[in-house]
Amino acid sequence: MSIFYADISKDQLVNWDDLLVELKRTERFSQYCQEVDFYIVFKQIILSLLLKREIVLLDADFSNDEINRLLDKPLSESSVIDVKDELSSIDSKEILLRRLQKTSKDWRITLFTSGTTGLPKRISHSFESITRFVKISDNHAADVWGFAYNPTHMAGIQVFFQALLNGNPLVRLFCLSKEQIFKSTSDYKITNISATPTFYRLLLPESSQHPSVKRLTSGGEKFDEKTINSLKQIFPNAKITNVYASTEAGTLLASSGNDFFIKPEFKDLIKIEDNELIIHQSLMGDFDSVSGDWYRTGDMVEIVSQKPVSFRFLSRKNEMINVGGYKVNPHEVEDAIREIDGVSDVRVYAKSNSVLGNIIYSEIVKNDIHLDESSIRTQLQTKLQEFKIPRLIKFVEMISTTRTGKIKRN
Amino acid sequence: MEKIKEIFNTVLTNRGKQEVSDITEISSLRNDIGFDSLDLAELTVRIEAEYDVDIFEDGIVNTVGEILQKLEEK
Repeated sequence: MSIFYADISKDQLVNWDDLLVELKRTERFSQYCQEVDFYIVFKQIILSLLLKREIVLLDADFSNDEINRLLDKPLSESSVIDVKDELSSIDSKEILLRRLQKTSKDWRITLFTSGTTGLPKRISHSFESITRFVKISDNHAADVWGFAYNPTHMAGIQVFFQALLNGNPLVRLFCLSKEQIFKSTSDYKITNISATPTFYRLLLPESSQHPSVKRLTSGGEKFDEKTINSLKQIFPNAKITNVYASTEAGTLLASSGNDFFIKPEFKDLIKIEDNELIIHQSLMGDFDSVSGDWYRTGDMVEIVSQKPVSFRFLSRKNEMINVGGYKVNPHEVEDAIREIDGVSDVRVYAKSNSVLGNIIYSEIVKNDIHLDESSIRTQLQTKLQEFKIPRLIKFVEMISTTRTGKIKRN
Repeated sequence: MEKIKEIFNTVLTNRGKQEVSDITEISSLRNDIGFDSLDLAELTVRIEAEYDVDIFEDGIVNTVGEILQKLEEK
């Protein structure tokens, strides 16, 4: 198959040959990439690899306010370099793939993850760390990837590299309707899908069957048995695996259900202390919170067996809220709400939800009687990404706190 | 049906989306009403607050008729 990227929701079909032509014709390159079109994000990453330049991926829905805070300057002031004729020798897909596999050690990809203290954190990865778990072999040559993540987030980047370095087609499934997802799966005979449990839950119930799919991977949230069983009906030939990945560490663990095993090669690099998963710094990207040799992930686990060690994820030690696979930092949301005139206090918390796993709620104490829910929403839409905005806002006299005086999170 | 429409419109207005004037049992939540997964998550909470039924508990419902059926089964 000569397809590089397909998106049926936009009638978009890009062949490898089209990609090569566009790469060769490129005249300018900017290291900052904020694009709605997935294909353009992918093309920019490939360009950065070929040009040996760092690329910084920004979510398409980051507001100008957020970007100014993250980059310390407006996007319009970032520099664009002239690259005319630099890529004229890339004449075939094979040459392109060979060049990509020899990516320079200095290349960096930078993305942002929701931080624990307010602003999203900047995380950079080298080619080696981002592709550590990419498997390149003839066995993968015929894979067709259903792309079911945001392309500027860690999980999406990893799927992208797995497909790219094997020369596989990428078919967009992210944010499409259920009908479009199943149509894409059968039209393009998708063989591999990696997605959050929420993505899979939204496909159910379904009576059609899709035998082309050989592997379904899930991660980012706990996967329930009921969903797994329904998926086995829809994708009768698929092996279902669960992956542990974080923006900081990339993909480290995989399991066949909810139990995870530490692979022998990582047995000295991953440990569990006080029920918290701890990872050696050699497995991490460049990241400002690694102090000393070990990084505390904040993921709380329960040990299921000792030899070999296997465990299950219980919760996050910190207060991040997982909304359909997206991490929301309640402090960041509270800070944004507090900046609104007429708000004197605020609490942001999660409630469990059958669609997204969790949903964001907020309690607000106001000192201006005219302040209403819709004006708060309108103001938040300029400051926060949509999934971070509380879906239910209650006005209260006083904020509930825990016995230690901390804000209650559930 | 009027109460359901009112809840739909609360969710739609919250996201700055256009309100719906007519809904029928065959209206699709995604294609006709225009809900995405964030909206569906909010919808289930608002319907549960009103009727004490989690409409998505056993998987996704796709149409207005399926919601009404879930509420009748209560």
